[in-house]
Amino acid sequence: MAPETLVDLANTVIMGLLLGGLYALIALGLSLVFGVMKMINVAHGDLVLFGTYFAYGVMTYLGIDPVVSLIAGVPLMFFLGFAIQRYLMSRAFGRSMEAPLLIAFGISLMLQNLQQILWTPMSKGLTTSYALDSFEAGGIHVPLAYLLDFAAAVVVMLLLGQFLSRTYLGKAITGAAQDRTAAQLMGINTRRIFAFAFGISMVTAAFAGVFLGLTFPFTPQSGISFLIIAFGVVIVGGLGSMVGTFLGGMLLGVAQTLGGYFLGPTSQMLVVYFLVLVVLAVRPQGLFGR
Amino acid sequence: MMRKWIALVVILALLAALPLSGLPQAWVLYVLLFFVYLAMANMWNLLCGYSGLISLCQPAFVGIAGYTMVLLVWIGVPFHAAIGAGGIVAGAFAVLISIPVFRLRGIYFAIGTLVVPEALRILFLLWRPVGGKLAGGGAGYMLRGMKGVTVVHYYWIAWVVGIGSLFLMRFILRSKLGLGLAAIRDNDRSAASSGLNVFRLKLYSFVIAAFVTGIAGAVFYLYQGYIEPGGAFSIQWTMIPILATVIGGISTEAGPIIGTVVVVFLDFLLARYAGFSMLIQGAILVGIMLLAPQGFVEIARQIGARWSRPLTTGAQTSK
Repeated sequence: MAPETLVDLANTVIMGLLLGGLYALIALGLSLVFGVMKMINVAHGDLVLFGTYFAYGVMTYLGIDPVVSLIAGVPLMFFLGFAIQRYLMSRAFGRSMEAPLLIAFGISLMLQNLQQILWTPMSKGLTTSYALDSFEAGGIHVPLAYLLDFAAAVVVMLLLGQFLSRTYLGKAITGAAQDRTAAQLMGINTRRIFAFAFGISMVTAAFAGVFLGLTFPFTPQSGISFLIIAFGVVIVGGLGSMVGTFLGGMLLGVAQTLGGYFLGPTSQMLVVYFLVLVVLAVRPQGLFGR
Repeated sequence: MMRKWIALVVILALLAALPLSGLPQAWVLYVLLFFVYLAMANMWNLLCGYSGLISLCQPAFVGIAGYTMVLLVWIGVPFHAAIGAGGIVAGAFAVLISIPVFRLRGIYFAIGTLVVPEALRILFLLWRPVGGKLAGGGAGYMLRGMKGVTVVHYYWIAWVVGIGSLFLMRFILRSKLGLGLAAIRDNDRSAASSGLNVFRLKLYSFVIAAFVTGIAGAVFYLYQGYIEPGGAFSIQWTMIPILATVIGGISTEAGPIIGTVVVVFLDFLLARYAGFSMLIQGAILVGIMLLAPQGFVEIARQIGARWSRPLTTGAQTSK
């Protein structure tokens, strides 16, 4: 292999690993809600995208940087998530398996349409002055946005880990996730805890949304592909493990960039979807799950 | 009993004769859509309501069958045969994807199936099986060689598919398959320990649903006259059957009929506000799930029960 090809390949893998950070960040909220409430939130992709569009709106109309807009975006998303769980999902819990899923599906349709009405179906991007910057080291080019994605993912995951293991609320969430009845017997109000967990999942979605917008162009229909990526990360990484989520994100990121390298950029997502289906067929408990 | 059958035959005959009555063509087309959606809703009810399979890959069946039909007609196969072939290919595809997705249960199954139409959409945006490259790329086709076939003909095909799906449901639910599915739904462990092959029964219902959904999809594309990947693998093919089944009442035989009437009527009402239709349909889905999760059939049953009850007990139940 020619040295240039090797450098190119190394570059592709590094890009994939950094992109994996973003994917892990997108999947984090899905994984949290699943771990605590045993529910897969099919509106997760559209809710992440809601965060992206909020940052886009703030940037376009107020000229505020998307990362700074998180000061408003994080609480907004937290209350949105809290309200969804408290007023919609909690009523459907325990009724049937499909009820929460169908409600989330309805929310997803509404968000998709709302974003289309507000922002047109055209492709948008959070084009800041630094989003397109890149730097070079030893022949390897790395876009700044990818590096920011990775850094943000590491920071958010560490903070979430600390929150869950150190604060009272975090411990209560972990407790409710492990054994709901036992948690209730210890005096934990699981209804409230669930609403907090959904809210916190949306906080991670707010971060994911902003960094997603800095990295990729997006349309109102993009939510579904990010839901599949998040689901793929959770499946590949195995449920309920934060390290697994992180590694799963990397694997999907590398699969995507390598797919793009060998098959052309248009078919890169196909490689990711195919990988998800293969993992489901061969090892449905996830590569890192037990 | 006899009277019931006569009424049924009269209704079916009236529906079949509808396009000859001089009704505006737009109305006829709405009834055509009703039959197409009815078949899809019945099949989703079979999957979710009776087999416990929350399938979100209905667009895959519609798209695969639609493409099979359009491509076969394109190379000169008669369109009646092409519709059947579309259903068969969709059924075969269901067998293929059952390998990965049947390893998943419940909610996992739902998300696993969601991946399939997305992957197909990208595939068909990249790959054009027949004919030269299009300017924009992707696999868009016009339906060729359909001169001389009238809308009335399409309508009758849709009539056969829609009414056929109703009889099929009735037949399945009273067959060994339906009884087995009911046993699995009530308690899958006791069903398995009394010798039912849970996996095989669910697979049968998945393949049957794929076949009929595919047929209905092929009929839709016959009527539409062109096919492109964005529409063929669109999430609306999941949304319409879900909405129809949930509005009418899941796990009931009458539910999808009532629900489909509502959905087609909504289509008609919202035609002018096409930009808002998903918002409204999503809100209806959430509203029904929260307020009346059993759908219209259950509401009607409760109202009926209240009317037929003596007044004193009726007063106790009403708040």
